Amino acid sequence: MTTWEGLLFGIGFVTQPEVLIYCFLGVVLGTFVGVLPGIGAMAAISLLLPITYYITPEAALIMLAGVYYGAQYGGAVASILLRLPGTPQSAVTTLDGYPMAQNGRAGVALFTAMASSFVGSMIGILVLVLLANWLSRAATAFGAADYAAMMILGLVAASTIGTARPAKGFAMVTLGLLLGCIGTDVNSGAQRFTFGQTELLDGINLVALAMGLFGVAEVIANVRNPDRQSVAARIGLRRLMPSRDDLRRMVLPMLRGSALGSFFGALPGTGSTLSSFLSYSMERRIARQPERFGKGAVEGVAGPESANNSAAITAFAPTLTLGIPGDPIMALLLGALVIHGIQPGPMMLEARPEMFWGLVASFGIGNLLLLVLNLPLIGIWVAMLRIPFNYLYPAILVFLCLGVYSVRGLSFDIMAVAGIGLAGYLLAIAKFSPALLLLGFVLGPLIETNLRRAFLISRGDPMIFLERPIAAGFVIATVALLLLPVWKAWRRRAHA
Amino acid sequence: MQRDWPDIFGGLLLAILGAGAALWAAMYYDMGSLRRMGPGFFPVLLGAALFLLGLVIALPALARSAEPPKIEPATALAVLAAIVIFALSLSRLGLAGATAITVLVASLPAPRKGWVWRIVLALGVTMLTVLVFSVGLRMTLPVWPRLS
Repeated sequence: MTTWEGLLFGIGFVTQPEVLIYCFLGVVLGTFVGVLPGIGAMAAISLLLPITYYITPEAALIMLAGVYYGAQYGGAVASILLRLPGTPQSAVTTLDGYPMAQNGRAGVALFTAMASSFVGSMIGILVLVLLANWLSRAATAFGAADYAAMMILGLVAASTIGTARPAKGFAMVTLGLLLGCIGTDVNSGAQRFTFGQTELLDGINLVALAMGLFGVAEVIANVRNPDRQSVAARIGLRRLMPSRDDLRRMVLPMLRGSALGSFFGALPGTGSTLSSFLSYSMERRIARQPERFGKGAVEGVAGPESANNSAAITAFAPTLTLGIPGDPIMALLLGALVIHGIQPGPMMLEARPEMFWGLVASFGIGNLLLLVLNLPLIGIWVAMLRIPFNYLYPAILVFLCLGVYSVRGLSFDIMAVAGIGLAGYLLAIAKFSPALLLLGFVLGPLIETNLRRAFLISRGDPMIFLERPIAAGFVIATVALLLLPVWKAWRRRAHA
Repeated sequence: MQRDWPDIFGGLLLAILGAGAALWAAMYYDMGSLRRMGPGFFPVLLGAALFLLGLVIALPALARSAEPPKIEPATALAVLAAIVIFALSLSRLGLAGATAITVLVASLPAPRKGWVWRIVLALGVTMLTVLVFSVGLRMTLPVWPRLS
């Protein structure tokens, strides 16, 4: 089967009415579950996995793919409307999406998120179909030193996001990295900073961290804020759909974001977080008015949202060609296949072509259905902001606590939300960026593991970072990024 | 206008945290060598970096003035207390009981006066929570308070 035959076959397969109904069902369920704070794609799929026993493997897979995209979009809705990100990727979306909603442009922000995820996924699918082999070869060419250098570049590039002073950004990233050390050290098994608490052996719960830093801090800051109470008044005055100017602004960031995401997605583990942060910092760097970012720039939603969605698709390349799932959600989707007696991996394309192409086509159809379904829903989501904040925030608090609890079923994690919430409130007052803390926290363990591995391989010789061409490229880019502001300042002085 | 207290305190706090983490890690965890890093290596490095960054933030701020920030300790206290109460009461009072109490406590700092709306809100949110999490998502949680 050639690529095009396969794709046509896949599309023909998933457009059967009964399969479409399951896909639709998955998208609807996923969206509503994803809007609940802290309950993301991971939880939504695990919750719905049992239902798939009763239907055919093809329909099951397509329904789960629908749940996956639905939940991802639902997470973006919660981030934009209420500043409740459940994942680091949606934390990036809050940076400009939430200010947009506060300015009465919630509808435009939701539209941007949806359109960007659609474009990102479509480009991701195209890349996956045409370049799967090349991508996985690129991914296997990456050694430990290359990974470490790449992630450090990502951290440095992101450090200027959301703060006026670079030192504050770096401090937040470093604090995040340090918090990431808490728990059992993977290399030696030593318990670090657990202070005898068994609940900390696995480290801090990521969802608790995100909910405390963003959600709780935001609630405290807004309870007695008259501006927040009158958001509803501003909504009625503006249109829900983007203007021509908005559309023009979002096209290029979407394409650039998709390109970044498609490439980084193929690198297991880090792809979608890293690419959404990189996309955001790139858009801000090349924008003509970088000062608009953080105050509701359409580009700041379009770039990262398309990046993380295309990354989510190309993450499938290593899974299919090498049999390595790129992230936990992919692993869960593959688990669903295994339940139904299908072995995913390099042989799947030959053994079960209808599954492979059905899967690829279902990614596309799932996203299309998401678009069709949610366009009319935008008005309903935005109406959520009409609820006076007095009535809304107590419910937000209960929901986010339950979302955190649902991850591991520990009351300890809810207590942690209170502590982290206090820290988050203080950080917000002092204008430190919580998104950067979250980025450091997620990448910390990966950077440490890869750094240690790299030095082990090179027998303690730091030259490994300059001898390997990929790592050297990242190191040079990092140094250039650090020196750029210095050079700019010097040039300004020379001109004056 | 007054001194830039948020940056001074924030920077110093981060510096103390960094120094503390670095010292703790250096004392209790194995540093190893560059070739074979122990569990202490990365935390010591990060703690030292955080210490320096904290000073870089705090020291220049001493000479700078800024708008004093608005802090609302009472609101923060009520919201955080509500979360702690939820955590503590979830297993004993069940989902319904914990939610109702949490909503009541959380609604204390809300600007709108009166008790009737608070009670109605608590009942409404409780119903919604039970419907969504217990009936809809089938979360394994006791819904009602344990009587024994």
